[in-house]
Amino acid sequence: MVTKSDTEPVQVEIFPSRFLTPETAQRLLNEIYSGGGIVRIMIQGPNLPKTITYGPGKGTPIDENRDLLIELGGQAFELRVKVGRIRLELEGEEHLKGVQEACERALPFSFRIKRGRFFRDFSTITDYAKYGRNIEDRRLLGLVDPKAKKEKSLAVLSDEVNKSNEER
Amino acid sequence: MAYTPQFYPGNTSVGINRRKHMSGNIEKLRDVPEADVVTIMGHRAPGADYPSTHPPLKEIGEPKCPVRELVAPTSGAATGDRVRYNQFADSMYFAPSIPYWRSYWAAINCRGCDPGTLSGRQIIEARERDLEAYTKKLMDSEMTDVALCSMRGCTVHGHSLRLEENGMMFDMLARTEMGKDGNIYYVKDQVGIPLDKKANVGKPMSEAEAKKRTTIFRVDGVAFGGKTGARKFDEALEALHHMWEYRSKWGFRPE
Repeated sequence: MVTKSDTEPVQVEIFPSRFLTPETAQRLLNEIYSGGGIVRIMIQGPNLPKTITYGPGKGTPIDENRDLLIELGGQAFELRVKVGRIRLELEGEEHLKGVQEACERALPFSFRIKRGRFFRDFSTITDYAKYGRNIEDRRLLGLVDPKAKKEKSLAVLSDEVNKSNEER
Repeated sequence: MAYTPQFYPGNTSVGINRRKHMSGNIEKLRDVPEADVVTIMGHRAPGADYPSTHPPLKEIGEPKCPVRELVAPTSGAATGDRVRYNQFADSMYFAPSIPYWRSYWAAINCRGCDPGTLSGRQIIEARERDLEAYTKKLMDSEMTDVALCSMRGCTVHGHSLRLEENGMMFDMLARTEMGKDGNIYYVKDQVGIPLDKKANVGKPMSEAEAKKRTTIFRVDGVAFGGKTGARKFDEALEALHHMWEYRSKWGFRPE
């Protein structure tokens, strides 16, 4: 069940001054998630390939980038990027303070929180090609790279209080 | 009176450091074993013979040439070594050296090498044994901070990215790691192939130390110019603005 809020959804971007380790990312995401009011979360950062992509060592496995699991909302998913920024859609302005406090609790270094529009709310030609005319859940728009496999890069978390989508 | 070459102007710490790098008068901070340097470079196994591309110069007999008589070949050239490379990436978060200064250092102080400067990385090509000596000098000196600089033959990006939580420059291939003892270890060679044995390259500089030794002008360190920051509007900046103005207006004509 999606909780209804009196105010319009707001979008924010959390920009830490350092890249996050999977442990810190998990701690931060859990703090944010437990605060409630999340519509969707997107995690962005540089890619962590599983093998060397070019050069003399091409194809050599990179063990450090394997099995970077994050557990959030009772669901585990694999981290495929170094967490550099987190974009959130919140149900309303009343949740902003909670996000700020969650960051202060979870991050041992400075960060910035920026308010803006980070997810598109209209369907592009690529979205049309991928999802068709009647997109089942409009929260997918702008959340996942259209070329990415949805099953790999999207986690749907839900409980009695709220329902949200999680990318990567 | 003997001539002393003059390099970079300016009295800020960055100006002084830039002069040091260019002149080659750099401080030795650590002693990375030669075998480790060779292993990290990954071109040959430590202790193995140097493969050659041609016989020693003495054997092939050079043509009579006044320049060849004047200039003694480097040991790598004399023995016919292969040309190999090292490539370093330096973080923009106050790494001691930056690509241009690595190139200045190499071009001024290293014989028989070909430095190449790119935006976030710098490559030096030279005969193998000469290159190994140059690389060791680089890794031992204050031009390298082991957390903010690393040897990356491919997948070099990291220069303009934020640092990791432990203060190391981000590396997609995870070539270096910080040990529990606080030392930085190379676990892979410069192209990402795992090493048999980790190579300890020592402890990283503190943030204050890196800021003291950096050759990077930054607004949160020593600012390059403008109304705020430590740098005075000195002769170098005036000359630079003069060139920039003339270049913008009608192409560079230093008149």
